[in-house]
Amino acid sequence: MPRDPLEALRLPSVPVEPRPQFAAALWRRLQGAAEPAARQGATVRYFVDDLDRAVDFYCRSLGFEEELRPAPTFAMLYRGDLRLVLASPVPADHHGGGSRPMPDGTKQGPGGWNRIMLEVSDLAGTVERLRAAGLRLRNDIVTGVARTVKAHSRHHERQPRHLEP
Amino acid sequence: MAAIYPTALPQVYGYLLPRCGSVTVAEDLTAETFMAALAAGRRRPAPQVSVAWLIGIARHRLVDHWRRAVREQRGLAAIEREGPASDDPWSEVLDTQDLHMALLRLSLPQRTALVLRYLDGLPVPEVAEHLERSGHATETLLVRARAALRRIYREGGHHAA
Repeated sequence: MPRDPLEALRLPSVPVEPRPQFAAALWRRLQGAAEPAARQGATVRYFVDDLDRAVDFYCRSLGFEEELRPAPTFAMLYRGDLRLVLASPVPADHHGGGSRPMPDGTKQGPGGWNRIMLEVSDLAGTVERLRAAGLRLRNDIVTGVARTVKAHSRHHERQPRHLEP
Repeated sequence: MAAIYPTALPQVYGYLLPRCGSVTVAEDLTAETFMAALAAGRRRPAPQVSVAWLIGIARHRLVDHWRRAVREQRGLAAIEREGPASDDPWSEVLDTQDLHMALLRLSLPQRTALVLRYLDGLPVPEVAEHLERSGHATETLLVRARAALRRIYREGGHHAA
């Protein structure tokens, strides 16, 4: 069978440098798109013992979206302008540097009373929904200068979230 | 993506530019390709990011672009050929062989078929898949496209060997 003369049309992909302005503009666009919403907001980091359940809790119950989950010990979520990093403690020789023990050996772990505050339009309804989903709330709605309630779940000990109307 | 961008960008652009023959279109499709790759990268399981994967996305974008253009042309009714091939310069750094130039003067469906079959070297079933046509319809399209290409090529002063 004679060789197809149009095989001569074969055009292997030869790299061509695009205009530098285009390359730079596209790179900026990609960076912007790579960091949805959270890039102008704050990033908060929580330690959790069970990453899967914590991600499930934040995404399913509190409307977070998963942005990255590159390792079993690390997840990055976002909700509006807030980026929430969830990390599990790792040993000293782990590549996840931020979660290693302190130089004196003190292990990082879940706990503490610092919290993020999420605005909800209907606090009572939200509390009801969370309870119906089987989540344990630390407190009832407290009436004061601000109405707040602390929520946490069994798999996420001592990491409260204020829901604030 | 950050790691691969500096090497992948000229590869993707270098794939698209000679095939669409327009700097403007090649830039648009390159941007579309990388934005689509970024979106795909968020899916789980995450795809293996490589130049070959990106060029696969670029090929889809290119075929989509031509398909849209064909629809627009139908809307304008009865434009047999794709008008003047492009109004921006067919950059001098490119392979400007007459055969490739002739290709740019074909109707879009014919051009799409030949680019996929010959420039990209895809087997006919894969060309058919991209074109969303049957294998038989694709073969027919290829035969007609080859004939049309030869005609244009010979009109350009080349004679059959």
